Amino acid sequence: MSKVDTSKQNAFLIDMTKCTGCRGCQVACKQWNQLEAENTEFFSGEGYQNPPAMSEYTFTRIKFRDYEKNGQNEFAFYKEMCMHCDDPACASVCPVGAFEKTPEGPVIYKADRCIGCRFCMIACPFGVPKYEWSKGLPLVKKCTGCHDRVTAGLQPACATACPTAITYGPRDEMIKIAEERVAKHPDKYIRKIYGKEEAGGTSVIYLTSLPFDELGFKKVTLRPLPEYTWQALRFVPAAFLTVGGSLSALSWINHRRDRLKNEQEDAEQVDTPADEKED
Amino acid sequence: MTAVRAVAKEIKGYHAFVKFMIFLVVLAAVASLARFVFGLGATTNMDDTYPWGLWISFDVVTAVPLAAGAFTLGAIVHCFNIKKLEPLVRPAIVTGFLGYSLVCVGLVLDLGQPHKGWHVLRYWNLHSPMFEVAMCVMAYTTVLFLEFLSPVAEKFGWHIPLRILRWLEMPLVILAAAISTLHQSSLGTFFLIAVDKLHSLWYNPLLPLLFWVSAICCGMCIIIVEATACHKWMGQPNEGVLLRTLAKILPYTLGFYIFLRVYTLMALSEGPFFDVPVFTLLFFLELGIGFILPFLMFTSNSVRNDDRRRVIAALLVIFGLVLNRFNVSMFGMMDPNHMYYPSIIESLVTIGIIAGHILFFVLIAKYFPIFEHHPETVDYTIPDSFHKIDDGKPKQEKEQKEVLPEGSAASELS
Repeated sequence: MSKVDTSKQNAFLIDMTKCTGCRGCQVACKQWNQLEAENTEFFSGEGYQNPPAMSEYTFTRIKFRDYEKNGQNEFAFYKEMCMHCDDPACASVCPVGAFEKTPEGPVIYKADRCIGCRFCMIACPFGVPKYEWSKGLPLVKKCTGCHDRVTAGLQPACATACPTAITYGPRDEMIKIAEERVAKHPDKYIRKIYGKEEAGGTSVIYLTSLPFDELGFKKVTLRPLPEYTWQALRFVPAAFLTVGGSLSALSWINHRRDRLKNEQEDAEQVDTPADEKED
Repeated sequence: MTAVRAVAKEIKGYHAFVKFMIFLVVLAAVASLARFVFGLGATTNMDDTYPWGLWISFDVVTAVPLAAGAFTLGAIVHCFNIKKLEPLVRPAIVTGFLGYSLVCVGLVLDLGQPHKGWHVLRYWNLHSPMFEVAMCVMAYTTVLFLEFLSPVAEKFGWHIPLRILRWLEMPLVILAAAISTLHQSSLGTFFLIAVDKLHSLWYNPLLPLLFWVSAICCGMCIIIVEATACHKWMGQPNEGVLLRTLAKILPYTLGFYIFLRVYTLMALSEGPFFDVPVFTLLFFLELGIGFILPFLMFTSNSVRNDDRRRVIAALLVIFGLVLNRFNVSMFGMMDPNHMYYPSIIESLVTIGIIAGHILFFVLIAKYFPIFEHHPETVDYTIPDSFHKIDDGKPKQEKEQKEVLPEGSAASELS
C-alpha cells in the first residue's frame, strides 16, 4: 500500500538470548493498558507460559521452551506481541479502515470505526488481533505499540519495564544493532533477523539462539500481505467496465437485430396490397 | 384486531410444511436474540483461532453464489437474447432477492457492531475485499429489490412505476451482472490474504475467477432445481423444455471451471497437495462428485432431456459448490488439533435462514404473480404514456397489450 520510508519509524529489537523470562513486560502491558487479569491455571497451555494464549485481556506474553544444553535443562523465551508490520494486512482488509500504520511506527486500532467483522483476525499472519468474545457487541483488541506513550516521547510500557532484552528506537538503527550482534557472536545467535523481511518487514525484530520455528515463531511469507489481495482487487474497475460494457454492446446488437427484423416485416406488410392489410 | 384475526385465519389455512417453516424461522429469531443477550463467545463456537464460523461460511460465502441465479439468467435472457427462457426469470429474481436479503440478515448477526454497519459507507477502504463485497451486496440487493418490484406493481396495478421499471429493465440486468461479477469474485479475494493458512489444494491466485465461474454454474443449477421443485410441489407447469436449453449451456461453463481448477492447481499452486488425507478426500469429493460427474452427465443428451437425471446433476453441482466454499472458508484452514464445529445456536440460525428463504418464496409465490408471467403479453419497448409516437399500429391493440398483465393479475386475485 503505502510506500513510506519505514527506516526512521520506531521498532522493537527483542534479543531473546537476553530475556530472563521475568514477565515484567506482561505486567507493565496490563498496567498501562488497564487490562483485566485472567483467571488461569499453571500448565493450562503448552509448557510454562501463562496465560495459555494472547487474548482480549493479554496483548503480550512470554512463551517458554525447555531444551537441553550440555546436559543441562535450559529455558528459551519468545515474546509474543503485535509485530506492527510496515504494510499491515489488518489495515488493508478492514472495510472501514479501523487500522492505521502511524508514522511513529505502531499500528493502531480505532475502536469507534470498527464494525466487528473479524477480517483482520483472518488476515493477520501472526494471529495478533483478538476479539471480546465475552461481550454482546464485541470489539477487536490488540497491542497498541503504546502509541500514546510514544507520541508523548516515552518508550512503550514493555520496553520500559524490560531490564535486559528490549531495545526501542528507529528501525534502521535497530537492524544495524541486530546485525552487529549477530556478526560479533556467531556462536550465540541463529544467523537470521526475524522481522527484517517477514511479511514485508515488521517493526518488531527478534534475535534468538534457537531456531525460530522451535520457539513458536510462525513461518510467514516475505511479501507484504496486502499485495496478495491487491493483485486481484486492482482489476475491479476494469472487470466492472468489461462485463457491463460487453453485455451492453451485446444486448444493443441483439435488440437492433430484432428491431431491423420487425421493421423488415412491417415493410413487407406495407408492400402488400391495401385490401389484404385491412384483415 | 380484525386484521390480526384475518392474518391468523390465513396462517391456519397454510400447508403443514409452511407452518413447520414458520416454526423454524421463529426458532432462529429466538436463537439470534440469544446471540445479542449472551454474546458471541457464549452462543457460538467461534474463538480467536476460528474468528469466522458457520455464519460467514454458509450465510455469506455460500449463500451469495447460491443466489447467483438471478443475474446469470437475466444476462442469458436479455443480453444473450435467449428470450424463450423468460418465464424462469421472475422466480429467479425472487430467489435472488430473498437470498441477498438473508445474506444481509446473516451478516448483521455475525457483525460484532451491527449498529455501526453503515460505517462502510462512511469510511471507504478501497484496499479491502470486504469493503467491496459490502458495497456490492448493498447495491445489488437494491437492484434486486427494484427488479422484484415488477410483480408487486403488477399485483397492485401501479401503472406508472411499472412503466418506469420496464424501462429500467435492461440497465438493471446489465448492472446486476456487472455488480455480481465483482462481489462473487471478491468473495474469493477474501481468502487470498490467508496465504499461509489456507491449504494449497484451495489457495491459488485465481481464486476470485474460480469463485465467479463456479457461481455462474451454480446459478443455472439452482434455477433447474427450483423450477423442478415448483413443478413437483407447487403445482406449476413443467418447464422441462426450457431447462433443457439451460442444461445445454452448463457443459461449457462447467468444463471451463474444471479446466481452470486443474490449471490453477498444476501451474499456479505450490504443494504439498496430498499431505492431509481428509483434505485429499474433501478435494476429490468436491471436484469429482461435485463438478466432473455432473459435467459428464450434462454432456449427455439423455440426461438433459430427462427431468429426474437433470435435476440430480444440478444438485450435484450445488453440492460441489457448497463443499468448495466450505473447504475454502472453513475446512481448508482447520488445525486438526483444535477443530471448529458450529454450536446449536449457530446451527439453528442458519437452518432458520434456509427455512426463511423457502417460506418467503412460497408466500411470495402465493400472493404475487411470479409464475403467471407471460412475456408475450408484456410490451418491453420504452413507455409512451402520452401516445405521442404513432408507430402505425392500431391503438386498440397497444392498449390491450398494456392492460393484459394487470388483467391476469386481477383474475388471480379473485
